[in-house]
Amino acid sequence: MKKNKALIVALAEFTTMVRSKGFLVGLLMMPLFMGIALGVSKFTRNATDIKDRPFVVVDRSGVLYDPLRAAAEEWNRGLIPEDGGTPTLPRFLPAPASFDAADDAARAELSDRVKSGELFAFVEVPADALDPEARSSISYYSNHPGYRPLPAWIGSTLNREIMNQRFRRASIDRDVVGRLTRRVDLSELGLVARDSSGGIRAAAPVDRVRTTAIPVGIMMIILFSVLSSAPQLLNSVIEEKMSRISEVLIGSVTPYQLMMGKLLGSAGVSTLLAVIYITGGIFTARYFGYGDAIRGSDLAWVVVFLPMAVFMFGSIFITIGAACTDLKDAQGMMTPAMLVMMLPWMTWFAIVNAPDSPVSVGLSLFPTNAPFLMLLRIAIPPGPPAWQVALSVALTTLTAVALVHAAGKIFRTGLLMQGKAATLGEMWRWVRAD
Amino acid sequence: MTPAIRLTEVVKKFNGVAAVEGLTLSVPEGSIYGFIGPNGSGKTTTLRMIMHILLPDAGTIEVLGSADTAAARDRVSYLPEERGLYKKMPVRRLLRYYGQLKGRTIAALDPAIDDWMARLGMQGWDGKKVEALSKGMSQKVQFVAAVISAPSLLILDEPFSGLDPVNAEALKDGVLEMRRRGTTVVFSTHDMATAEKMCDRIFMIFRGRKVLDGTLDEIQAQYGLDTVRVRTAAGAAALAGMPDVRSINDYGQMQEVQLGADPQRFLQQLAARTAVYHFEVARPSLHDIFVRIARPAEVAAP
Repeated sequence: MKKNKALIVALAEFTTMVRSKGFLVGLLMMPLFMGIALGVSKFTRNATDIKDRPFVVVDRSGVLYDPLRAAAEEWNRGLIPEDGGTPTLPRFLPAPASFDAADDAARAELSDRVKSGELFAFVEVPADALDPEARSSISYYSNHPGYRPLPAWIGSTLNREIMNQRFRRASIDRDVVGRLTRRVDLSELGLVARDSSGGIRAAAPVDRVRTTAIPVGIMMIILFSVLSSAPQLLNSVIEEKMSRISEVLIGSVTPYQLMMGKLLGSAGVSTLLAVIYITGGIFTARYFGYGDAIRGSDLAWVVVFLPMAVFMFGSIFITIGAACTDLKDAQGMMTPAMLVMMLPWMTWFAIVNAPDSPVSVGLSLFPTNAPFLMLLRIAIPPGPPAWQVALSVALTTLTAVALVHAAGKIFRTGLLMQGKAATLGEMWRWVRAD
Repeated sequence: MTPAIRLTEVVKKFNGVAAVEGLTLSVPEGSIYGFIGPNGSGKTTTLRMIMHILLPDAGTIEVLGSADTAAARDRVSYLPEERGLYKKMPVRRLLRYYGQLKGRTIAALDPAIDDWMARLGMQGWDGKKVEALSKGMSQKVQFVAAVISAPSLLILDEPFSGLDPVNAEALKDGVLEMRRRGTTVVFSTHDMATAEKMCDRIFMIFRGRKVLDGTLDEIQAQYGLDTVRVRTAAGAAALAGMPDVRSINDYGQMQEVQLGADPQRFLQQLAARTAVYHFEVARPSLHDIFVRIARPAEVAAP
């Protein structure tokens, strides 16, 4: 039995894309990003600079240096792991000094010692530090503005001691104050539910992994799947135009069959990527105890929205390929298309923060966003109203059909055009032509 | 017998400029038909219209008896002037793909691929990627892609262009083999000697209009016996200023001369100027006819 020619083209496109380096890159892109992010975070956590941090303290209050030194000794003792391994944080080594507040020469001399590396920083504690009415501040001087642990530790240690001494001077028990001023936590919960037997099921605490991470993950999977395949259609069409393969193909198939074959091939690649990502996602979620958080209904919506996204963006990239004569021409026209495609990436946080806000509704109804952002809203409990979902499906379907139709007309003419890229006006005329 | 191709008053314009103007042509089934003409004269446009790659603005085109040229797609194969091959694709995969687009199954294509690869001396190359092939090899692969579907009509745009004699010979044998199998072959060429030797009929298009159409004999008969080929001691210099000479085509060792008068009188005048080693009254070659048609227009062009 003879195969449909569009399916033959689709199979060839699918095979070519799946065997390309681009597919492998696409396949590895998302797990690679996640792996790199986790790896970098682990590396930076474990690979902190552990050089000693010697610093000078000019304590004009006269009462804060000793407690600070004691706290530093305690800090340094706590750095050595119980198993005798290597410390992961540096030692803080304070040393006292004294000079008059107006003595800029002494400050300059200490600055030179910091510059030379003998010291890491120096600190001036004002004489009125214990006075609750005073507005002066502790000054920390260093040429390592990016290094936060030391100033943060000095700030918190000195302030803790200053508070203690202020409470003592006022004859107030700080422990009592601490107990009286303790904050009451707010627990975020879902709703209490009734099970099938009429019993009440207690509300579960809100879990950010379920309410945010997994919905965003599902949206990212579909976005990456489309992003990894649709732009390749542009390269495919331009290669065929530049090497006159299109002439051979049009001698065998109609332009519409050729274009539909390409779109189907691209849809196949996106589906394969999505299946691989989702399968990996399900295994990962199960490993961390979130297997039940990936709902079958959300995956069903992926099946609805993924082909729409591929056909919409695939048509756009095919159109650009047919309208241009080389990749250089295509770059300029590709930028707006990529921006439209990346819009969900740039706006998903607005949906997560307020899924039912007018901005979220508008963004998720916009046809080129809908396959990603409406899917995100669906995945975030309790989900959008049914009419919004239905409207987004209708609008996206209409847009996909219109884009495929227009792309078919532009493709038919542009495919054989050589020498110069088509203008937007020319493309519009081709679309309107019978 | 129904012609393999029939064009009737076909017109094709690009941006208002006529590339093909009122072209009427009939290609007999089973023949080898040569399309000649200067660059930009409308050859490729005509071939593309026959292939349904372009649609005519006016006139009708029938291919293999059908006015719907698209309907004959699976029975017509095309080899474009510039090679249309996927560089990254292995040869067999590419050939299978092109063959499947012509409605053939892989089971039917594989023996044909093996047969044609062997005929063209390309055994063992089917696993190589196209980018690894030389220009001649690529050309042969493109030819194989065009013939493995056993088309009824084979259209070749400049098939011998840029090929070395060995590859040109292999491709020529391939074309003749297709004719033996009953395929009608239409090819365009700038090589007049090839057209003379291979074509049953020759068609010349010039500035979008048909200027020649017939067998070589018929075409040459239109120009009569007004040509002599001479070899003399003085070469082309001996012909300078001779009153009966209309044009000279100087090949160095021999000159082809178009005369406006009796060849015998010309011979007497020439013998008076130099020693004549060879004198042959001949019909004009296709090359000469081509030049006679195309050169005046080129000279007149701004």
